[in-house]
Amino acid sequence: MGNTADIAETAAPAEPASSDNPFAARGLGQRRRERAVALVLRLAAYAILGCGLYIFVDIIAKGAPVVFKASPPFVNTSFFTKSPETLMTFETDDGAFHKMDFADYTRFKNENPGRAIVEEHSHAYSGGGILGPLVGTALLTLICIVVAFCIGLTTSIYLNEYSSKGRFMDAIRLAIMNLAGVPSVVFGLFGLGLFCLVAPVITKTPQEGALFTLPILFTDHFLSFQGWGTCMLAGGFTLAVMILPVIITACEESLKAIPAGFREASLALGATKWQTIAKSVLPYAFPGMLTASVLGITRVAGETAPIMFTAALSHKDKLPWDLAIDPNLGALEKVEAGIGGFLSQSVQAMPYHIYTVAARIPQSEYTKPMQYGSVLVFLLLVMGFAGLSVFLRIHYRKKLKW
Amino acid sequence: MKPMMSEPEPQQTLSPIRKGGDPSTPPPEVVIEVDGVHFHYVKGRDILRGVSMEIRKGEVTAFIGPSGCGKTTLLRCFNRMNDLIPTAGISKGQIRILGTDIHHPKVDAIELRKHVGMVFQKYNPFPKSIYENVAYGLRIQGVRDRTKLDEAVEESLRSAGLWEEVKDRLDASGLGLSGGQQQRLCIARTIAVRPKIILMDEPCSALDPISTATVEELITRLKKEFTIVIVTHNMQQATRVSDRTAFFYLGELIEMDKTTTIFNNPAKRQTEDYISGRFG
Amino acid sequence: MSESDSAVNADSPTTPAPSFRGRGFRVFGLGWQDAIRYFFGGNASLAIILVLLICFFLIREGALFFPSHQRGLQDYRHAGQEFVDAVGEPIDAHTAFFSSANIAYFAEINESSREEDDLLRVARAVLANTEAACRKNWNLLKRKLGEVQEMDRALAGLDAADPARSDLAAKRETRLAEIAALRTILSSEVEAALAGPKVWKLGSDGRHLSSEDRERIREAVLFQASPDAKEEHPWLAGVGERSREKKKTAAAEFAAFKETLQGIQTAIRPMRTLHGELKKAASANRAAINRYQTAPARRAAMLEGAKKAQDPAEQARFQAEADQIVVEAPDLVAMNAPFYAAVPKQAELSAALLAEMRELREALPEKGSNARSRKALERSETLFDRFADTVDRSQRKAAKWRHERSVSAISSFTSFVFGKQWITNSSWHDFYGLLPLLTGSLLIAGIALAVCVPFSVAAAIYVNQLASRREQNFVKPAIEFIEAIPSVVLGFFGIVVFGEALRALSQVEWLSWVPGFPMNERLTILNAGLLLAFMAAPTIFTLVEDALENVPSALTENSLAMGASKLQTVFRVIVPASVSGLIAAILLGFGRIVGETMVVLLVAGNKIKIPDFSEGLGAIAQPAHTMTGIIAQELPEVDSGSLHWRALFIVGLVLFIIALAVNYAAQQVLKRFQRI
Repeated sequence: MGNTADIAETAAPAEPASSDNPFAARGLGQRRRERAVALVLRLAAYAILGCGLYIFVDIIAKGAPVVFKASPPFVNTSFFTKSPETLMTFETDDGAFHKMDFADYTRFKNENPGRAIVEEHSHAYSGGGILGPLVGTALLTLICIVVAFCIGLTTSIYLNEYSSKGRFMDAIRLAIMNLAGVPSVVFGLFGLGLFCLVAPVITKTPQEGALFTLPILFTDHFLSFQGWGTCMLAGGFTLAVMILPVIITACEESLKAIPAGFREASLALGATKWQTIAKSVLPYAFPGMLTASVLGITRVAGETAPIMFTAALSHKDKLPWDLAIDPNLGALEKVEAGIGGFLSQSVQAMPYHIYTVAARIPQSEYTKPMQYGSVLVFLLLVMGFAGLSVFLRIHYRKKLKW
Repeated sequence: MKPMMSEPEPQQTLSPIRKGGDPSTPPPEVVIEVDGVHFHYVKGRDILRGVSMEIRKGEVTAFIGPSGCGKTTLLRCFNRMNDLIPTAGISKGQIRILGTDIHHPKVDAIELRKHVGMVFQKYNPFPKSIYENVAYGLRIQGVRDRTKLDEAVEESLRSAGLWEEVKDRLDASGLGLSGGQQQRLCIARTIAVRPKIILMDEPCSALDPISTATVEELITRLKKEFTIVIVTHNMQQATRVSDRTAFFYLGELIEMDKTTTIFNNPAKRQTEDYISGRFG
Repeated sequence: MSESDSAVNADSPTTPAPSFRGRGFRVFGLGWQDAIRYFFGGNASLAIILVLLICFFLIREGALFFPSHQRGLQDYRHAGQEFVDAVGEPIDAHTAFFSSANIAYFAEINESSREEDDLLRVARAVLANTEAACRKNWNLLKRKLGEVQEMDRALAGLDAADPARSDLAAKRETRLAEIAALRTILSSEVEAALAGPKVWKLGSDGRHLSSEDRERIREAVLFQASPDAKEEHPWLAGVGERSREKKKTAAAEFAAFKETLQGIQTAIRPMRTLHGELKKAASANRAAINRYQTAPARRAAMLEGAKKAQDPAEQARFQAEADQIVVEAPDLVAMNAPFYAAVPKQAELSAALLAEMRELREALPEKGSNARSRKALERSETLFDRFADTVDRSQRKAAKWRHERSVSAISSFTSFVFGKQWITNSSWHDFYGLLPLLTGSLLIAGIALAVCVPFSVAAAIYVNQLASRREQNFVKPAIEFIEAIPSVVLGFFGIVVFGEALRALSQVEWLSWVPGFPMNERLTILNAGLLLAFMAAPTIFTLVEDALENVPSALTENSLAMGASKLQTVFRVIVPASVSGLIAAILLGFGRIVGETMVVLLVAGNKIKIPDFSEGLGAIAQPAHTMTGIIAQELPEVDSGSLHWRALFIVGLVLFIIALAVNYAAQQVLKRFQRI
């Protein structure tokens, strides 16, 4: 035992803890190396954040002049109240340079018939504002969240409250997990195949190309599997399918966070299973589910590929609620035609609009404001929802503790 | 070791508190000195209140007492594991190991822990092979020489009484062993770096009676080489393995003496009540 | 409870004993609670149904691809197009060889006048830059000068006494004043543009211009920036002249080289002619086959029209047109006769071509005098070997070719999976080969992973193990925010900012060791890969962080109690213990990257070609197309139900299978290591 000698030697001096300190730090080189490694790791983390920050700053710096202005109301209102238009740039013979939307340009020409116009250029989608895409994205997101939340909520209740372990459960979990990994463009293909081309509609006049048609008993309508066509309903449903795994997982997590005691206490009082779920589980899980759906909005609003084939349109003059309904129809029929007509139109959408102005039109310096303005608004929207979900999560985690 | 036991006690059981700056050389056999230590997890709420004691070389010292009395806290002070809790700290007093104040700024907790090993309540081998588990401490000290490692691993496993059981499957995962074996593996892992002191925090509480007996036997064997401090809830265990016993109650050291004295003839009423099972 | 139960307990005289039977109505033995249960269960099984539906629809739309593809390949063979393409192979290889040799030649010539050319290039760039900066006023000035000229002409035509004359003269005066003002503005603008430090760096090849040259260029630009400059600045013209002179001398020196090049160009001519003739025949064949195949449908349409037509004359016309449509099968043997007849000629031509080319290659200079030409000559050596091989192979292919051989279903599959070309909307033949898309996707994913994994894993280790709680509370939400950036925004950023920045970065001298640098393109595989790396970093970070979080804290404690430092603990205990989560995270990140659409669609350059790996990893500086990108780009533009449409669905199916495989692998990894 060499140790014994060691102890005797080191313990002997009276002087505590300095020169003959047996526990003095050793291997300073190693320590320095460790600090360096830690620094490298830390730099990696901040490199990611730095890239993100750079993107934000760039977009904000270039987009803010388009979206905001220095005088009240501080927001460029026309950017939010007009839909995308063609931008015209030209010079008149007096050397003045003009830049205006196409409608204004036509008016200008009519008002000044004698002026010679030179150096005329048109820039597609670079004028006007982003009202149409904003409205479209809002509608798509709304449809998607309603559908996904209904299915997601019930699924998570089943998974967490009803199911017992077994093959069925495993299959469901496997399916959810796999659904989560499917590329978004494949969801687009799927939505196109199912919702646009095959999904059933109730109509009096079934199309010829329908997969098959079933007459609905006692009415003159048919259930025709002809698809909904490219429309916001198809887009919303496609998006709903896509975020279903996110919603299910998040809802399930908030259900899991409810202590089993709540359920046992309720059951012990003679409540039925459903009463227990409705009265003493769901109310407490609801905040978590809300967070989940906000998170879902964040994901969905940014997706482009799934709506490309199913709902989106790059140009549309009218807003979705400007419907032309035949005034001769009866009240009920009007409502029917209104709802049907509303849901079955394609919409513009922010991400698709950005794709259009970024890549599908010839670039010039005059397209830049539209690009950066749209991107900034879109980014702020999505980040707003992301921030909301983070905030809600922290808020409820603090508030609800049991 | 025997003669040391029969030696006259250098000080009274409850030694008068030797204030921090006492220049007198501690007697060589005292390995840990605790001087009026107050300890808190959250500032202002002391968990330990003025604990003073001495732990001697080559002995097994048992800490007993009801839950929450601070015995584990004190044990974790010895190798500064409490440093991991950001708000915790010693508010008053001093702990000296081998004559060195372990909270002195020049003391490095990592170096300290190489000298003061610890075995935990829940055995926790690393998810590595048995060999790598035992060699871990040496490897982090920079030992690369394969023969040295081989020797150390074999010696430690032999000391822990595990060698015969595992020598054919050193490359198997440490998690494949039984509970008692895993705990002994953890002990082997600790002694592989030849610490001076081994702290054991209820090492048998998660084990079945047979494994407990094996581990207890191991502890008695190990005290020839190491100074051992053991926290236990099991008073029989304390009588079986320890030479001296300290009884804690509500953050204070009530009594510390030879195990036989404590259990047969305690000086304090509280000790007697606890031992006879009136509370705790 | 008692009400319904009383019937059961009718015979019990007094108080009915409590019964524990459920209450409420039942249909087919199912109660209300069961109904709720099955409602929820039904919704849950929707997830399974959806996965199955995705499979079903991808297969439904894609399934018919392989039979029609097979038919297309069969037509390709029947029409003799396959033969013609085989004959044409040496021509492409020849072109590659020739252009490489040509590059070498021009490298030699241009080297002689390099100094002058550099000067000219810089001068032109500076001029262009200045023009761009002052374009508006410049144009205005030009227009006004033109107006003044016109006025002069008008004035000349007018009598001195004409009252309009003084009017016009006054107008002219104001114009002249405006012009004078504009001139001052313009010259100050030119000065400002010249002062910009950027312009002087353009194209200087790393060499700096002498201050003398700079001054001269400045002078020349100022001279030419005036709108009335009719000719080049004499100094600039002199430099141009000198450059031309030197080139001429060099051309005389390398006359033999030039001659060889011309020889190479003429050598391929007979083969080209033959190929052209055959191609015409094959095109006609294909048209005939297509006509035959669509004949029944067209005939049916005509007959339908005849049936519907009211006027008997029109009916007769329809009928006549329908009768004109031939439904007779084309005579394949006769159609392909010219190809079989061409085989000996092709063999003969090949032999001659090869012999001539060998001679010509010998005549090429051994070694170039400068780096560029040396490189090009070396390359042309390998390209010549490739050419010779191709000639051989093409001859063998042509000789073996038989039009009546049928195309198997397997080759329909293999020509899709291993096909090297994706050519659609072509007048010759549509090729659907997955390889260009697959390599593009995988290459981009590879770069993205290689960049992103070190960063995100390191960041996760730092945040989970080393950072203080406060730092964690800042970094984790911040990274979540980054995860929320929509991919189309990233793509936009890549197209307008990052692409240009990356190209500029690639021009920096000391970075030239990076493969592919300096880059000529803005939208490249590298650009897309880096953006995707940034996009996937938060995903991988979160997953790895979770995996680290799941390592029991007791392990940390044990390791620290052994005297290990924090980092030793992290790298020897915690990271090994979470390795399964790490691998799973990387796999899932890979899945996410391969499936990402918008970034690659916007940034990868969308060139459907297998990247040229002849420069090794330098291939990453080329543009590429991807599986996701091609679907997004082409699907909106094709007819539903066409072969092209089905091909895109099959690509989608491939993506789906990749996603499932990645998911499955990740789950297996997690399961296998779960024990630990």
